This record gives sequence, structure tokens and C-alpha cells, in this order.
Amino acid sequence: MHIDIDEIAKDFATSTALHPVSLAIPSGALVALLGPSGSGKTTLLRILAGLEFPSSGRVLLNGQDATGLSVQDRRAGFVFQSYALFRHMTVFDNIAYGLRARPRASRPPKAEIDRRVTRLLDLIQLPQIAARYPSQLSGGQRQRVALARALAIEPRMLLLDEPFGALDAKVRKELRQGLRDIHDETGLTTVFVTHDQDEAMELADLVVVMSMGRVEQIGRPTDIRSRPATDFVRDFVNS
Amino acid sequence: MSDATSATIARAPQPRARFRNATEETPLARAVLIALAVGGLLLLIFAPLAVVFAEALAEGWGAAVASLGNRDARSAIQLTLLITALAVPLNAAFGIAAAWLITKFDFRGKAFLITLIDLPFSVSPVVAGLCIILLFGANSLIGGWLVAHGLPIVFAIPGIVLATVFVTFPFVARELIPVMIEQGRAEEEAALTLGASGWRIFLTVTLPNIRWALLYGTLLCTARAMGEFGAVAVVSGKIRGQTATMPITIEMLYNEYLSVAAFSMAALLTAFALLTLLLKTMLEIRHADQLAATRRH
Amino acid sequence: MLSKPLIQRTAMPGLGLSAGITLTMLSIVVLLPIGALLLQGAQFGLANIWDTVHRERVWAALFLSFRLAFLAALFNLVFGVLLAWVLVRYRFPGRRILDAAVDVPFALPTAVAGIALTALYAPNGALGSLAAQIGWKIAYTQWGIFLALVFVGLPFVTRTVQPVIEEIETEVEEASATLGATRFHTIRHVILPMLTPAALTGFALSLARAVGEYGSVIFIAGNIPLRTEIAPLLIVIQLEEFNYDAAGAIGIAMLVISFSMLLAINLIQIFTRRRIGHV
Repeated sequence: MHIDIDEIAKDFATSTALHPVSLAIPSGALVALLGPSGSGKTTLLRILAGLEFPSSGRVLLNGQDATGLSVQDRRAGFVFQSYALFRHMTVFDNIAYGLRARPRASRPPKAEIDRRVTRLLDLIQLPQIAARYPSQLSGGQRQRVALARALAIEPRMLLLDEPFGALDAKVRKELRQGLRDIHDETGLTTVFVTHDQDEAMELADLVVVMSMGRVEQIGRPTDIRSRPATDFVRDFVNS
Repeated sequence: MSDATSATIARAPQPRARFRNATEETPLARAVLIALAVGGLLLLIFAPLAVVFAEALAEGWGAAVASLGNRDARSAIQLTLLITALAVPLNAAFGIAAAWLITKFDFRGKAFLITLIDLPFSVSPVVAGLCIILLFGANSLIGGWLVAHGLPIVFAIPGIVLATVFVTFPFVARELIPVMIEQGRAEEEAALTLGASGWRIFLTVTLPNIRWALLYGTLLCTARAMGEFGAVAVVSGKIRGQTATMPITIEMLYNEYLSVAAFSMAALLTAFALLTLLLKTMLEIRHADQLAATRRH
Repeated sequence: MLSKPLIQRTAMPGLGLSAGITLTMLSIVVLLPIGALLLQGAQFGLANIWDTVHRERVWAALFLSFRLAFLAALFNLVFGVLLAWVLVRYRFPGRRILDAAVDVPFALPTAVAGIALTALYAPNGALGSLAAQIGWKIAYTQWGIFLALVFVGLPFVTRTVQPVIEEIETEVEEASATLGATRFHTIRHVILPMLTPAALTGFALSLARAVGEYGSVIFIAGNIPLRTEIAPLLIVIQLEEFNYDAAGAIGIAMLVISFSMLLAINLIQIFTRRRIGHV
């Protein structure tokens, strides 16, 4: 699914998080929103998910206006920085949650839910942890469970907020490749937010550098490295 | 929404009210929940409070004030103040000692000790009174000896104090323990290395750190102590002018259909309870950082 | 292997004094009196205690106290969670006053609450007369006892649940929404389960308080044997007749009921806590 962000702006009560921002994300791309904290990248991601609504502008999904579409109807797989796993549910129940939450008419039968959860556990290479609770998992395992939970609803796009932020350096490197593999296998249009330029450059097809609520540059990692469009990009990428 | 209509309004600033935050209930659900909460508290809390004052003033201010001025009423007020003045400091002393013991030392059976301190919470006040009668009553071993030596406990002031301390037992300790655990032992240990004596450490290091929590616990303890009914009803013998506290006097007056007198005394206790709540709320707002975490709201 | 010492050696002063005060007061105020009750029971004998408790009037009073306390705690469980939610999540005029009012049952003497509720809900009272018009008698019936027990137990659930609601991360609720769950589904399957351990604690405290409650109930109860006579009142009546054996037997029965209830709920809580863990 291709995503078009058309002149999206977001004002909060006392500040402006996003000046009008436009961005076209081709179907199947893996895109990084890169910038320091306060650059508006997380706000943009949350607007894509339907967790926040823009003050003006439109979000188009496959060319259809989705600006007013509720978060439930938007079907964006979202991975939170803190993972936000349901700690009173087993890993299995966490992953099955979105399927079970569907209205009866579109809810898959129990056997189908079991099958899908098992398949997702295989996909994240943790088939043995279905019965555990989130408190019994390592940070890296939690991240992958959050990813599987987001994938279970058969999302139209995958959105990740600092997916590696809470992990130590070694696990971070491993899981980067994990995300790349999952993206390639599912073919989902994927947008992730990061403040780590190595992460963005290594993982993404397309990097969007943001600062102070504006897009500074959009380009392939090599372009951004070799031809920074602004002083900010040059400083940020070389720091 | 069709594409055609959305395209025409695309550039206009969109009213935010159209989009509901994912973590909020619908305005209707909110309104219903707020109405239920307000309605429930009106029926259960505010209406009874209003009734106390309305009934007290049913025959005007004069009658209400006069009913508090007679000899039995004055004796009840004095007795309640005396009991509170004895029970609360005893309880505060116990609370400080228990909190010091539990938070400054490591010993086996600590959890069990805390359970024992909490025990009075789950004992009916009437059963508490019963226990005190069985231990100190005139026909018990200890009680008989004490009566023979001119120190009756049951049906006398010491028994009322004892009953009051029983029902308020955990109040101060419960407030102090979490605060003192949070603050740790480092400051006291530092003072110790600087050569301060035990009392000096307590007065100059510990006490300033726990003073608001101590005040908070003491406040709750005072409110409960002034109002205790069940345990005191059992051990006091309800002797008018001698062992009848304010709550006991309220019961007597009410049973004699002296409504204005009963509710006037009730209004006095209610006014004190409301004052307590006001002070408590102020403590929660102004000194939240120095109270137990569950009190910070 | 050396066994763990009874007390860890430390330079901290005041061990003797604080332990002395704590243990002395605990003994005089709590342990010896409760011991006296148990001793009285032991002398009376288990068979006699059982006979006393099994008398129709005593049995009815114990059952009534327990049943109405349970129902009142159940009401407070539901209303208390609702109240906590409204107080934490919504902003509306008068919220602070409402929040402070929740503590009124803690601070208001039970006798005052008793006569106020009676005056209000008696057939000639302001609200009781309204209820009487639809044929609903509140004061001097079991409804009155229920009402008084709801009053005294009201703050417990709200005060234990409030801090937990404050700590719920918004992201967990957002996660549920992104997975397609309606708000109702989120509340039912994500939020309420998170509140369960705290709500159960509040329920247990409310129940323990209500089972033994005396002051607020006796005015509104009507105190008719077999119908509206609560167990603590029966103890008072036995004491007034200097029947210490019977009073002791009922007292022991009440102790056993409240302790076993607290034990049961503590076990449930340990179980839920262990499962959920502290993340």
C-alpha cells in the first residue's frame, strides 16, 4: 500500500509539532523517519496510525482519503517504544488479541487463530514462549512479540516507534536484521522512527530527515550521506 | 466518506471534534459515568452530611447551642477530648517506634510483625471491646487484681483509652513505614559517622523527613479516635457524665428522641471530621512528595 | 551452613527502645486481649462454642452480617472502580470536592453516619419518603443495613484502585485500539484485568470493615431478631446480660470469619500478582 502525506500540520495547545509536511511513501518501502527528539517524527507516525489527528492536511492510503478514519478501522500494525504488551496476558493471548477483538462476524474461528499465532511465533523465531507472560521475557523477546502482535491483524502497513530504543547495543544489531527479514517476507509498507542515524542508514530504503517539525531531506541513505541538502542534515548525519 | 466530498474540504482546517482520541470514551459514556459518580456520592455522602446540620438546626441556632451547653454534653465533650489527647500520642509513639524498628533493622519475622500491627483493621470494634473486657474486666484475673488496687480499667477511662488505641493501632505506623522505607537509611548512617547520638539523629535527621507523614497519620488517628463507637460502647459502661463520650452521648440522646441535641453533638463531630479532611487534602496537595506514594493523588 | 541470625548486627541506634515500645504496646493493646478471648473460648470448649453459634438467632445474625457485608463490598467494588476511573480520568468542575468526599466515611464517626442515614432514609425522611412512595422501605430493613455497610466501605476500593489507574500507560490502551479493539473491548479486556489485584484488595478491606461494623448499622437496622439483627449487636446484648461465654463464642466465630476471608483474598492476590508480575 502506498501512503501519501499531503500538507499535514499539527498544532498543540502551546506549540507546533508539525509544519505542513508532505511525503510520498511507495508501496512496500521500508522508510525511516530520522531526527532528534522534538523533530515531530513520532507525531507524524502517530497521525499515520490514527492515534492523533492532524490540524490540517490529509493522509491518503492507496489514494483514498483516510484522514478521519478511526484508529480501529485504519489497521496499522503499530509497535510502541515501550512495546505496551498486555502484562496480564500470555504471549499467545497478546498476539491473538487483535483477532479476538474483532466483531463476531469477521472473527476467525478458534482453530484459525491458533494457527495464525503459531505461524507468527515461528516468524519471530520464538515458537517456545507462547505460554509465558511478558514479565518473563527479555527485552529483545518482548520487542519481537510486540511485532508479532502487530502483524497478527494483517495490517495494511507497519509502523514502529523507536523499535530498538529500549535495547542494548548487541541485541539492537541482531534485531535490525530481524526487522529487515520480516519486512522482506511480508512485503508490508513499513515506517519506523529513530534518532539513530546508523540504524536509519543501514535498515531503510528511504530516509526522511526531520527537524523542528519540518522535513529537511528525503532520499536514499547514500544520497543523504553524500549530498546533504541542508546544514542541519550535514551536522546530524556526521555527528 | 467518499473521495469527492473529502477532496473539496481537504485544505480547510478540520474541526478536531470529529476525531475521537483512541484512549477516551464517547462523550455520552463519559457523561453517564460522571453522572453515576456524582449521583452516588450525593445520595451516600453529601445528603447525610446535609441532614446532620439540617436536623441540628431544626429548631434554630439557639436550641442547638443550648443543647451543647448542659452538664452532660459538656462532660461528654471534655471526656472525648481527654481520650483523644491520651490515645493519639500513645499511638504516635507506637507508630514511630514500630516504623523505626521495621525500617532501620533487619530481623526475622518482620512480615509477621507487620501483619500483627495490621490485625486490628480486621477485628470488629465490638470484638475488640469484648477482648478488653475479658482481659481486664472485674471478674478476670488481671482485672480483679487491678480493681482491688483501685485501678479499674473496664467501665472507666483507661478502658476507653485502651479500646481507642486498639481500633486506631495501625494508623500512624502504616503511614510512616512506606515513607521511611523510601527514604532509606543513608542519612541516619551519615549522621552516625559524624558522631551524632541516637536521639539527635532522630530529632534532626529522621523527624524532619517524616514530619508530614507523621502529621497525616496522626490526623487520621485523631478523627477515628474522637469518633470511635463500637469498642467504646462495650468497654465504657455508658455511664452518663462519667464514661459517656460524644458518640455514646449521641446514641443516648437519639434513643431518647432528643433529636436536636443528638444532631447538634453529631454536627460538632461532623465539623471536626470535615476540618480533618480539609487539612488532609491540603497535606496531599502541598506535601505530596513526603507522603506515602498511595496518598499522592 | 550458618543459619540466618535473628537480628542483623548494625550500628543503627535505638533497637532496644523501639523494639521495647513496639512489643510492649502490641502485647498490651492487641495480643493479650485477643489471647484473653481465645482463652475464654478454650475454657468454654469447642462443643459449647459450636452449640452457641448454631443457635437459630446467632446463626441468623452471623449469616446476615456476612451476607450483607459481602453484598455491600460487591457494590463498593463496582461503584468504587467507577468512581476511581471518573476521578482520575475526567476533568470536570467539582472533581476535587468529590475526591475529598470519598474520604468522609473514614473521618465521620460511625454513630453520626448511623443517625444521619437513618434520618435521611427513614419512611418520614427526605429520601426515605420518596422511596416509600414506590413501596420501597429502606431504613429498619435489610436495605438499611446494606446502605450503612456501603457507606462505611465506600473509600476502600476507590483509594486502592486510584493509584493503579494513574499508572496505566496510555500506550497500552493505544496498542489495544491499533489492534482494532473498540473502547469497550479495551476496558473490558485490558484495563479491568489490570485493576483486578488492587480492586480485590479494596474489596477485602471493605468486606472486613463491613462484617464487624456496629455503630452505623444499629440505628438504621431496626434490630429485629432473625431478620435485621447483626452479629456485633448480639455480642453487645450478651455482654449486657453478663453472658461472657456466649459473647466470647460469637466473638471467636467473627474472628474466624474475618481472618479466613482475608486469608482467602490474600491468596487470590498472591496468585494474580505472581502471574502478572511487576513490569
